[in-house]
Amino acid sequence: MTEQPGKIIEIKKINKTFGNHVTALDDFSISVDRGEVVVVIGPSGSGKSTLLRCLNGLEETDSGSIVIDGTPLDSHPSNRKKIIKKIGMVFQSFNLFPHMTVLENICLAPRRVKGFNRTSAETIARDLLKKVNLSDKEQEYPNRLSGGQQQRVAIARALAMKPDIMLFDEATSALDPEMISEVLDVMRDLAKEGMTMLAVTHEMGFAREVSDRVVFMETGKLIEQGPTEIFFTKPEKERTKLFLSQIL
Amino acid sequence: MKSHKKHQQINKTILIDIFKFIFVIALLCWMTFRGTEKLGYNWQWFQVPRYLFRMDDTGFLSGPLLNGFIVTLKITAASMVLAVFSGFITAILRLSNSISGRLTAFSYVETVRNTPLLVQIFFIYFVISPIFGISPFISAVFALSLFEGAYISEIFRAGILSVDKGQWEAAYSLSLSTFDTYFKIILPQAVRKILPPLTGQAVSLIKDSALVSTISIYDITMEGRVIISETYLTFEIWFTIAVIYLMITATLSVFVNRMEKRFKIAA
Repeated sequence: MTEQPGKIIEIKKINKTFGNHVTALDDFSISVDRGEVVVVIGPSGSGKSTLLRCLNGLEETDSGSIVIDGTPLDSHPSNRKKIIKKIGMVFQSFNLFPHMTVLENICLAPRRVKGFNRTSAETIARDLLKKVNLSDKEQEYPNRLSGGQQQRVAIARALAMKPDIMLFDEATSALDPEMISEVLDVMRDLAKEGMTMLAVTHEMGFAREVSDRVVFMETGKLIEQGPTEIFFTKPEKERTKLFLSQIL
Repeated sequence: MKSHKKHQQINKTILIDIFKFIFVIALLCWMTFRGTEKLGYNWQWFQVPRYLFRMDDTGFLSGPLLNGFIVTLKITAASMVLAVFSGFITAILRLSNSISGRLTAFSYVETVRNTPLLVQIFFIYFVISPIFGISPFISAVFALSLFEGAYISEIFRAGILSVDKGQWEAAYSLSLSTFDTYFKIILPQAVRKILPPLTGQAVSLIKDSALVSTISIYDITMEGRVIISETYLTFEIWFTIAVIYLMITATLSVFVNRMEKRFKIAA
């Protein structure tokens, strides 16, 4: 990762209301530095996932602006394509392709989108599998793997496109407790390598140890944010204190 | 000891079932026989084979029923290919973001599903085909594929919608094109849901193809009607034709069963 100053994510006053008048994002603004690791916390239904999904266009915002690495996410298909390529996303439910082996899952996008040939795509895939400690599983199908293994494959699959930003949408929420740490370890390594990360998580230990900044949101609004240590030790708002006392 | 007893019991129930089945079939045969007897029907099964094929000095000669059978096969095969194609395109249009695409697909499906096939065949044969000067065979294939395509599009649509939303989202966030998303991700998973009802639709198509005999196409039904009008072998010919239709559809079912096993995702 080359260290470049400046904001890689700039979100200004985005709004998102779902059909049934549920406000998911309410004039929400945030910016993220290159290489920064930001953890988003908040009660369920606070719009955390929607925030992540708006970033790569999985959800459309109603108003406001999103700029990723200088490119605005707007109606221009070319801008949108450029942004999606810069962002890797990891889902709560893994979303691996069940009809493909682990290796095929990882190789598909590099081959079809970036035009790599089979050998070079597989080289990339094997490097990434080594990184997530699953070198021995490359010929397995996803449903033969445990949840933790599946999620690590999903991370490898997203990394194969060499994204600048990684989004983690409750990546460990669907896992059995004993498998959470193996996924968090991979995320921790990524953070150390300088990957820009935006993670929605309930793992406060992970947030405290790995993140640079914590963002607390509720009903689509940013309630409080700050450097991790200060956020956990000296939160300013009463609402934040209450939330932290409930989860810690 | 206990399992042995259970085993015997199962054997006994199977035997009773087989007996019941034979009884029902025998009853049906007896009723048919009685019915035709009362009609004063004179069975002449020995006459039937020569309408299927003949052997003479020059060798094998196919009879009218066999010729009709080949026409039926040609029509259904061509219509099935076209119907799957139009069904797929229609399903994609209905699922697309384009309002005009969705509206076109919707009106096509609803119009075709809510009008009789016979009327559609007549419409295409008497109204459309003179404009473009197309043959009865093409008209028949066109009408059948249009009709079955409307049903097939609903089968495709249901199959595509049965694939988890997360698969679309994963494909999207990996920058896969719409084409790759459909052909590499969604359809390979949807095909397991699509194949069984698609087979049912193919069976309907085979049977529906009998209606093209109304526009002077010599398919197996038409050939049968001609033979009957000349020979009065009504029941023999119709039963033979029914068995031939049954043979086509049964072969198809076996074939598709095999395919379904191949498409099963590794467990």
